[in-house]
Amino acid sequence: MPTLGLIRRGTPAPPPDLWTRFEAQMRERDEVVRVTLPAVGWGELAAVAALVAIVAVVPDPVGFLAASGMF
Amino acid sequence: MLRRRELLAYLIGAGLAGTILVGPYVLRIIAGELFIPGHAVPVVPVVLLPILWGVWNLLWARRHPARLSIGVWGAVLGLAAATGINVYLLAAGVWFPAAALLIVFLPVVYWLLWRLVVGPLNEALGVEGKRT
Repeated sequence: MPTLGLIRRGTPAPPPDLWTRFEAQMRERDEVVRVTLPAVGWGELAAVAALVAIVAVVPDPVGFLAASGMF
Repeated sequence: MLRRRELLAYLIGAGLAGTILVGPYVLRIIAGELFIPGHAVPVVPVVLLPILWGVWNLLWARRHPARLSIGVWGAVLGLAAATGINVYLLAAGVWFPAAALLIVFLPVVYWLLWRLVVGPLNEALGVEGKRT
């Protein structure tokens, strides 16, 4: 029997299921994370008001924010 | 030796600061081009922020200073960053008087961000271990 015929009669390769197995493994390891935000009170509101006030009073707000590294 | 939750703390800090970089690297450029084309702004090395934030959160996870809240811990970083920015602007010869207000502005911003974002993420992902 020619070699090609032998190869053709051989065990067929399993269907490609790498992605399916990987996905199943990921799902198995995944867990739900609950992020609980702290209550926003007067302290936080006062902080935001102070930030807005500072940006409002500086002569060049864009340059100021750029220097802060936040914008 | 680096513990898992310390590495996680670093990644939370670095990831959040990296996300904030969208401000200086994307929003500022778009807003500048649209509303104030040609307006020169001082450039500070914000690219270092993810490393600073990551290391600072790692130190928080490692040391857990019992008397400080995470918001105050963040505010201390803000104060250090504001001082560093002022020194940098002075050294670069582009310091302007309003930059001194960063000493107040940044600690407040950082207090809010660390209290409202970093702290809850640390809690959710298990960075907050037992206090020593």
